[in-house]
Amino acid sequence: MLYDLRLTISYEYEAPVAGGRHIVRVLPLNIPGLQRLVAGSVTVTPQPAEREEGTDFYGNCYSSIAFREPHEALEIGMQARVQVEPVEQGYDLSGGPAELGAELAALTSLGPDSPHHFLAASPRVVLDRSIAAYARETLVPGESVIETVRRLTSRIHDDFTYDPEATKVDTTPRQAFDQRRGVCQDFTHVMISALRSLGIPAAYVSGYLRTEPPAGQERLEGADAMHAWVRAWCGDAAGWIGFDPTNDMVTGTDHITVGHGRDYADVAPVIGVLRTFGGHQTKQAVDVIPVKPATAAAG
Amino acid sequence: MAGYRPLPGVPDEMVDVDGRIRPVWRAFVAALEGQSRAEIEARFDRADQYLRDAGVFYRIYGDTATRERDWPLSHIPVLIEEREWQGIVAGLTQRAELLERVVADIYGPGTLVRDGHLPPGLIAASPEYLRPLVGVRPAGGHFLHFCCFEIGRGPDGAWWVLGDRTQAPSGAGFALENRVATARAFTDTYADMHVHRLAGFFGEFRDTMQGLRQSMDGRVGILSPGPLNETYFEHAYIARYLGFMLLEGEDLTVVDGRAMVRTVAGLKPVEVLWRRLDSNFADPLELNQNSHIGTPGLVSALRHGGLTMINALGSGVLELRAMLAFMPALSRALMGEDLAMPSIATWWCGQPAERALVMQNLERMMIGPALSTRLPFDDTRATMLGATMREQAQDAARSWIAKEGEKLVGQEAVTLSTTPAYVNGQLVPRPMSLRVFAARTASGWKIMPGGFARIGSSPDPTAIAMQRGGNAADVWVVSDGPVEKPTLLPRDQTGITRLSAGSLPSRAADNLYWLGRYIERAEATLRILRAWHARLAEFDEPQAPLLAHVSEYLAGIDIDVDQAIPDGLLANVESALTSASHIRDRFSVDGWLALNDLTRTLREFRTRVQPGDDATRAATVLLRKLAGFAGLLHENMYRFTGWRFLVIGRGLERSLHMTRLLAHMTAEDAPEGAQDMVVEIADSVMTHRRRYSVATQPLTVLDLLALDRLNPRSILYQLDEIREQVELLPSALVHGQMSPLMRAVTRTHAGLAVQTPEDLTQEYLHTLAEDIWSLSNQLSTTYMA
Repeated sequence: MLYDLRLTISYEYEAPVAGGRHIVRVLPLNIPGLQRLVAGSVTVTPQPAEREEGTDFYGNCYSSIAFREPHEALEIGMQARVQVEPVEQGYDLSGGPAELGAELAALTSLGPDSPHHFLAASPRVVLDRSIAAYARETLVPGESVIETVRRLTSRIHDDFTYDPEATKVDTTPRQAFDQRRGVCQDFTHVMISALRSLGIPAAYVSGYLRTEPPAGQERLEGADAMHAWVRAWCGDAAGWIGFDPTNDMVTGTDHITVGHGRDYADVAPVIGVLRTFGGHQTKQAVDVIPVKPATAAAG
Repeated sequence: MAGYRPLPGVPDEMVDVDGRIRPVWRAFVAALEGQSRAEIEARFDRADQYLRDAGVFYRIYGDTATRERDWPLSHIPVLIEEREWQGIVAGLTQRAELLERVVADIYGPGTLVRDGHLPPGLIAASPEYLRPLVGVRPAGGHFLHFCCFEIGRGPDGAWWVLGDRTQAPSGAGFALENRVATARAFTDTYADMHVHRLAGFFGEFRDTMQGLRQSMDGRVGILSPGPLNETYFEHAYIARYLGFMLLEGEDLTVVDGRAMVRTVAGLKPVEVLWRRLDSNFADPLELNQNSHIGTPGLVSALRHGGLTMINALGSGVLELRAMLAFMPALSRALMGEDLAMPSIATWWCGQPAERALVMQNLERMMIGPALSTRLPFDDTRATMLGATMREQAQDAARSWIAKEGEKLVGQEAVTLSTTPAYVNGQLVPRPMSLRVFAARTASGWKIMPGGFARIGSSPDPTAIAMQRGGNAADVWVVSDGPVEKPTLLPRDQTGITRLSAGSLPSRAADNLYWLGRYIERAEATLRILRAWHARLAEFDEPQAPLLAHVSEYLAGIDIDVDQAIPDGLLANVESALTSASHIRDRFSVDGWLALNDLTRTLREFRTRVQPGDDATRAATVLLRKLAGFAGLLHENMYRFTGWRFLVIGRGLERSLHMTRLLAHMTAEDAPEGAQDMVVEIADSVMTHRRRYSVATQPLTVLDLLALDRLNPRSILYQLDEIREQVELLPSALVHGQMSPLMRAVTRTHAGLAVQTPEDLTQEYLHTLAEDIWSLSNQLSTTYMA
């Protein structure tokens, strides 16, 4: 699938901000064989005093920007054209969750994709007893890792209510779990916590979701802002596979990846430290439009 | 002495297995034995007196609130023979080099993980493994510059490493203070005994830090988490002792990849930071996003290579307790040799064979968290002692290890050697461990010849932790022959240019300015309160017109006269104390003690002072203490830029206060006696009598308290002072032109200087107060933003 993406994140501050420094992660990734960034750019208004592009530990692209002049608003824009390839769903070659330990031990790497990074607690995902107990209920003797993760994806989708009013950006997995409500970020955090408690490495993925459903299909949940889902490591043979608990599905060509990390803190679209008093208001708008082959040729 | 008995089966520093005093202790013991208990305790008092006078404190975290406690000195030093010390030096020098290679590999090529020497899961799970720093080569090439090692003597008499401190080791400054205090107690013995001095070590490390700068303009700073940190005293002390800036995260900003300090003379580059805060808190943008004590962008400054961090961010990963398990193999792999000094035997339970070994030998193990960076003795809540478990508990522990092995380590439970401590008039054996410091210098790693010993408060080795009532003692490395006696005085000309002017951090300027303002505000309030309560004693009627008139003024500055010692007054003094606590490196110890004494007295008065006469007397006592403090500042403080901010703060507050008070007391509706009262408040009764042959009238009062250039309480006198000081601040003149602040000060000053008493109408005074007020804002935006 070929997509045209547009994102706008705007902040309005109650009082002028004296300065500030931010890290912005909104540009889709290049993932060999799966996703290709044909063209893309990030714009920042007002013009920052400093701007630097870089790649973080996990291989995600970021822009580091700094302001020195007072400003009352900030707008971050992203435009991109991305080609997403369908994933070949082969045979399930994964063993049971109990066998993952030995496969992990044999993997002596701390490279960015190494599952070792995604097994322990991380800044926003504390390993929690209640969530661990919930996760254990998912286990069915004889089922593979992939089947287990897929089952957990469905359970979270069924047990939790999508409710943007129920949680905030800093809601903990335990809070979301207790009320069984939240948005994609909360479902993803709960599922990561659950998988790690089972010994299955799990990463947080931030990205975009196709906003226009194919004819005759319903619009997916969470498409009006940046989206989040889970990437689970299903063993040496199967590797990393994406699961979207918000929409109860294995990720496919509707999902466009921006970044991988241990949790939201690693891939938040805008991390920022402001020298200010008072609050601010944020707005996000996303368009993910499939490009028809004819248009694509012309574009 | 005669009653000193080492514990059975435990080696003692002073007495050998046959009950003989070891040779290195003989001279010391002989000197001590000839003295009475009174003489000995007089010596210890001298040491304690020194520590109190120096204001040495240690902050402890209680259940409800944190408080400062006096430094817990155990007066008897630990004596170690030079020859034995050389063995420690060799072992720790090797270890420092090994640690450098390990951390360089973890954040660099990663061969140790790849080749199976370090388990990837352990490193990845550590909160001290900082992914944003992976691949960042430190400026100058080295990760570690200053480390410390906790070592103890095992049952066989050999030394063991109990833990490595590479994150932000504390204690070097306290070691210095221990030395000075202990040398006071044993002046004669210390002088005779050829004890290795500590100053040379610090001198060399200071020169090394200077050498790490990349340009002449680059600064060296001590980066502190701030006054609430348990060892803040030491941060201020080291900064003062070495002559470096004491900085907090908000003093720094990153501009185009360079770390800069905000000073009153603008942004200045910082090229070396000896950090005393944990890595994770250094940069809220790339590390812990909840940190309020870091500097956004600091990691990017490291990436750009213009800043050396002592030690590199992320070095804390070496402190993991489980890391000790791998040190013997790492030494062979990286150094091609065995560890010269072994670590306490440690097994990480994340590996099957090791896990089994720990489970089989549970009764001689300490079981604790693998990722903890604290020493087992400091972490007793999280560390279990296998020997003290009943059978059932052992089974529970085994199943815990089986299930969550990767989170646990087993460590051989060790006993520590004992050393004499003086308790209730006699020497008793107490367990001890040594903290030894290593610094990288141009000529390699140097080990501080001495350090500090942590002494348990009971025979139980876990009572060593300072937070749990342990003590600290000096360590004397004793030579057979004379030792070098270096000082920290500069050896060459470069030493003189170090403390150049214009390096005053804006935050320090801000705190000095507000210290001046709060102190003056407290004084002004006290003067009014004293006059008010004196009249209350006389009239016995708080609603008398004059009293009511003044109460109204006081209410305007948040002072409630219904309280004999009002809350608002205490708030002022506490604010002064807070400001002072942030700038202890620029502040004399006497001044700090005087301010603390004032606060204590004020709190105490609040509980018992009654309105009227009693309050008048209390105010007099407090004013005398304030005068003492002001005197210290005026007499003893060097006239550097910081002092000017303090004086400006004081002058601004005094002129503002006097302008408003005069307006209130010379208003048409002011009751009878108002003019007398304001002259009394301004301490000008005698002068008024001498200068004017008449009773007080509005015009004479205004003449004396607004326009008299010789009266330190007058507005014009203070504006003179402000103008003089502002003119000496950086960039008061730009290309020969007055800065906007200088212009505003001059305008306000000249405006008042040309007035006559008749001109000083209510309206004029109100406008003047607003002008003075706006000077404060302008000062802030010019120098403290």
